[in-house]
Amino acid sequence: MKLNIEGLLVYFPYDYIYPEQYSYMLELKRTLDAKGHGVLEMPSGTGKTISLLSLIVAYQRAFPLDVTKLIYCSRTVPEIEKVVEELRKLMEFYAKETGEVNNFLALSLSSRKNLCIHPEVSSLRFGKEVDGKCHSLTASYIRAQRHGNPNLPVCRFYEEFDAVGRQVPLPAGIYNLDDLKDFGRRKGWCPYYLARYAIIHANIVVYSYHYLLDPKIADLVSKELAKKSVVVFDEAHNIDNVCIDSMSVNITRRTLDRCQNNVDTLQNTIHKIKETDAAKLREEYRRLVEGLKEANVARETDIYLANPVLPDEVLQEAVPGSIRTAEHFVGFLRRFLEYLKARLRVQHVVQESAPQFLKDIFDKVCIDRKPLRFCAERLQSLLRTLEIADIADFSAVTLISNFATLVSTYSQGFTIIIEPFEDRTPTIANPVLHFSCMDPSIAIKPVFQRFQSVVITSGTLSPLDIYPRILDFRPVTMASFTMTLARTCLCPLIVGRGNDQVALSSKFETREDFAVIRNYGNLLLEMSAVVPDGIVAFFTSYVYMENIVASWYEQGILENIQKNKLIFIETQDAAETSMALEKYQEACENGRGAILLSVARGKVSEGIDFVHHFGRAVIMFGVPYVYTQSRILKARLEYLRDQFQIRENDFLTFDAMRHAAQCVGRAIRGKTDYGLMIFADKRYARSDKRGKLPRWIQEHINDGSLNLTVDEAVQLSKHFLRQMAQPFRQEDQLGLSLLTLEQLQSEEMLQKISQMAHQT
Amino acid sequence: MASLSEEVLLVVKKVRQRKQDGTLYLMAERIAWGPEGKDRFTVSHPYSDIRCQKISPDGKAKIQLQLVLHTGDSTTFHFANESTALKDRDAAKELLQQLLPKFKKKANKELEEKNRMLQEDPVLFQLYKDLVVSQVISAEEFWANRLGGVNNGEPAPYNNKQEVGISGAFLADIRPQTDGCNGLRYNLTADIIESIFRTYPAVKQKYSENVPHNLTEKEFWTRFFQSHYFHRDRINTGSQDIFSECAKQDEKGLKSLVTQGVKNPLVDLLSLEDKTLDEGYGISKALPSTSNANKSVKESSNSAIIKRFNHHSAMVLAAGSRKGDLPTDQASETSSTDGNSRDSDFFQPPLKKVKLQEAIEYEDLQRENTPKTVALNLKKSDRYAHGPVPLQSQQYTTSQDIINSVSYIQQEMANYKPNLTRVLSSTAATSAIAALSPGGVLMQSVGQQSINQMVPTDIQGELKHLYIAAGELLRHFWSCFPVNTPFLEEKVTKMKTNLERFQMTKLRPFQEKVQRQYLSTNLTGHLEDMFQTAYSKFHIWQTRRMMRKT
Repeated sequence: MKLNIEGLLVYFPYDYIYPEQYSYMLELKRTLDAKGHGVLEMPSGTGKTISLLSLIVAYQRAFPLDVTKLIYCSRTVPEIEKVVEELRKLMEFYAKETGEVNNFLALSLSSRKNLCIHPEVSSLRFGKEVDGKCHSLTASYIRAQRHGNPNLPVCRFYEEFDAVGRQVPLPAGIYNLDDLKDFGRRKGWCPYYLARYAIIHANIVVYSYHYLLDPKIADLVSKELAKKSVVVFDEAHNIDNVCIDSMSVNITRRTLDRCQNNVDTLQNTIHKIKETDAAKLREEYRRLVEGLKEANVARETDIYLANPVLPDEVLQEAVPGSIRTAEHFVGFLRRFLEYLKARLRVQHVVQESAPQFLKDIFDKVCIDRKPLRFCAERLQSLLRTLEIADIADFSAVTLISNFATLVSTYSQGFTIIIEPFEDRTPTIANPVLHFSCMDPSIAIKPVFQRFQSVVITSGTLSPLDIYPRILDFRPVTMASFTMTLARTCLCPLIVGRGNDQVALSSKFETREDFAVIRNYGNLLLEMSAVVPDGIVAFFTSYVYMENIVASWYEQGILENIQKNKLIFIETQDAAETSMALEKYQEACENGRGAILLSVARGKVSEGIDFVHHFGRAVIMFGVPYVYTQSRILKARLEYLRDQFQIRENDFLTFDAMRHAAQCVGRAIRGKTDYGLMIFADKRYARSDKRGKLPRWIQEHINDGSLNLTVDEAVQLSKHFLRQMAQPFRQEDQLGLSLLTLEQLQSEEMLQKISQMAHQT
Repeated sequence: MASLSEEVLLVVKKVRQRKQDGTLYLMAERIAWGPEGKDRFTVSHPYSDIRCQKISPDGKAKIQLQLVLHTGDSTTFHFANESTALKDRDAAKELLQQLLPKFKKKANKELEEKNRMLQEDPVLFQLYKDLVVSQVISAEEFWANRLGGVNNGEPAPYNNKQEVGISGAFLADIRPQTDGCNGLRYNLTADIIESIFRTYPAVKQKYSENVPHNLTEKEFWTRFFQSHYFHRDRINTGSQDIFSECAKQDEKGLKSLVTQGVKNPLVDLLSLEDKTLDEGYGISKALPSTSNANKSVKESSNSAIIKRFNHHSAMVLAAGSRKGDLPTDQASETSSTDGNSRDSDFFQPPLKKVKLQEAIEYEDLQRENTPKTVALNLKKSDRYAHGPVPLQSQQYTTSQDIINSVSYIQQEMANYKPNLTRVLSSTAATSAIAALSPGGVLMQSVGQQSINQMVPTDIQGELKHLYIAAGELLRHFWSCFPVNTPFLEEKVTKMKTNLERFQMTKLRPFQEKVQRQYLSTNLTGHLEDMFQTAYSKFHIWQTRRMMRKT
């Protein structure tokens, strides 16, 4: 249908539309009009992606000079591919309606592992290996060497792309990962580099967060993207953690040992080169005097060693004299390494800030701040000069130099914690230096500054106001949309007591309590008898799940559950879990029914949807708080309190509830879907917890279902499931939660929609 | 002696049967017993007739062996030789144990099938009694038609019987019971053993390797339950345990399952992340301790339990769908042969595409174009959802409704005008009236309806059986036409004689009985008619045949 969104003609590739999709597009349009940033929450399964794409594509067509590009960031590879498929659908609709083939270029970009078509390289299993192997075939100096020695191995796909691929722009169309590969195969071009090259002139780019948020990669991949782009972060409820992860470094004794080896190798190579080809080193020295900018030639393929930070002014400056010659730099690295080793030889926990660390290093080994800052860049240059092929081996020394650069660049927002041993095993020495980022806004700041509109969206962003605070930006629009429903297809229940009136809770004091564990088991058992097909249960942590499973096993609860359904359990091994997941789906598919025991914050809770019969009930055992005893977390909480005035408890609860909402939200993937959401912890009943759940879940929790016993919950579930099993037709939805174009145009409906949207 | 021609495998003397001393013979194909001093067998059962054997519990005074036959009868032998009774019995038992399964396979599958059919279908059973037991037709003839129909006509429900899956909790069903003196007793049924074998092929292999050469069945299962394999959480590794190998094999199986990877790309957690952080970056969430050394015993046993549950569920699922798997495997094979079989990329996309399409589809946003299905229309969905509610609101017709309808009818009647030009002719009307007056053709049904009252129920039942039996015979008869093979010729003649015999042995007595009770004889009139039709058909056919021959 064709919509009129405040004067903008939007093509929407479906015959009907949800009211909330309309409101979402309205808000989004206002954000784009204002050229500002926005935070939008809309439940999963209400067609967020297609609304977003429809509006932005329409906007791009209407105002091609205002918005030149859409950068769509998602989290996982399947999600990226889904977005591209939805886009394809939209474009097909455009072609059908307008009758003309528009020259839109949209493509997805992923890591080499997903795009490589080189027969040997692509057969490697791990992303790291693929990257390393690719690098050893395509790095600039390797290719330069080949001029002298044509027998060296070569990636013909890259060579072909390098020779002709750049001249011919990628023809307009929609390219998913597989399409890129196909295209690459046909032309004999490397799809990965083709995609990286093509994103510069593409209208829509779909890729993962890291390409924008991880400065090590962003600098290389996303540097040249136009300023007039709209950036969308989908599934952004965890965006702060992604930011923090990309800026944090951990150094163990093993890292240092490997680093030592690396430095030794560097030393030897330098010696060798000095004897054979001293001119090369002199040339490098000359370049370094002129400034790092010059050293940037042909960096495209050298992704592996990118700089962790991107202060442009650093690149303008010349590298300080003390580390300019290769030997001096290696000596410098040695000193730094020794210093770190000494620091790791502690007996007690040390926590300090970056300036303290810098002062200490200056006092002890006379290393200045400035050369530290250039450390990463200098190492890159050296590795290139030395023409080291297998770059993967040098990850340790790269890590150390990145750490040096980070610690000397940022005086705020980071903390250094040195722990001599793990808390659980105080007798075994395993010293770790955590250099941890506490301020997610550091990594995302360049994004907000550079692009005119950044939209953060997800199914669970409640409470909305906390994201602008922790990411330090000013949104022009903030809205949370609920799911209009013709029938209440979700049924949140808070089970606070067992049948014996024992309070259910996963809080620390009672988590070993047998009565609680038994009652939890009872809940699962009773549910397994009532709920058809699939049940997913989430625990607060892996250790907690292991303990509970063991004691359920001893008490024979699991055996009884097995009479009703098969049991699959998430393990820490991803491959094993994938297998379990597939079998779980198979068991749901063939009608036997199954239970998946899983962990909040685990991979399953973040990336797998349980649509329809794959998840008719989700049980959340306990409140998924983070492990609060961790020093890193404590430091971060402190920082949040001092810098952003967010109380520790508020943040912890917020964090726990967003994960709980993520977990239970996995089961509802649309209006035709239905599912039970069981919160098995009495603490959910408190308003500070409940209030932090997304609106679309909150509004279905009635006061009667706040502190149920297991029996009561089973009774309510039975009722709910029977009602939901009735046929649900499109006509039932029409006019309520599903609108035709005529209905949408009626004055009355528009009023109703705007009323709903303004409740936020 | 009959046994001379047979191979005698075991002879046990001093075996009592019905308080009579005698000798038990185990022969190649049957078991037999003869009383002392006589050279004939009073008891003789082919092995294929024996369903199972039972033995008296150890420690009982009488040492007995009971044979239960398929027919349900049983024969008990009492081993009376004081000194060697137990040994004798065990020898017989062991031999039987080996012999019986061999015959079980042969053991008339058909017989069981017939038995089952008769039990499931009371009408058929009655028919069987009427026709076969009373020797109107032979059992073979009876079944030839039946089973033939079963095998050819509708092979699906019987031959391709859907394989029964395995209960996920079959191990839970083996509840150990204490026997009072520090021991545990497990009760195993054939079903459970079957389940164990199907779920854990490794155990089956062990079983076939070790039983009965190295271990008796009992010992085998005792060890199974004792073994660490069953109590997987206990970490005690006895290397001499025969099941430790099974555990290893299971581990291997699990590993191979894991390395096979998953077909559905949307659940592949390995390729979920686009770009993982390199080692050393990121906030480490409780660094995974790589060395197993600092894992406590409890932790590793916990993870063993988890592994075991995953494996168990996967195996149960696989055992249930092993048959269903075949077609899909073939499908994937064919698709792999047309593509480049080495490069998995070539045939991966279709599945992936499908899954992606499924994932982005919003069925309610599109116009429905699926074929209309019939919806289950529940008049009272409340009753369905909640079960009966004690207080029910009943539907009354209000007085207003009644008045309305009365006045409506009145109005109709007032406006009624007979359409005289289109009424019946007078003769037709008269005959209709005659037919409808008492004694008329159409009013006879009133009299027939009262058959319920007129005829006693036992006669009614008998009549019903007669009808069914006659119908069956006639079906046989008519199915012979057109008679175009010699076999059919033979059959049709035979069927005719069968019909006649039926008429003589069944129908006549019934008619006489009815007459004796002074009931109207035309109860059997229709039956007679049917027979007559059949006979005349037969005669026509016979005369034609004669003419052709001459």
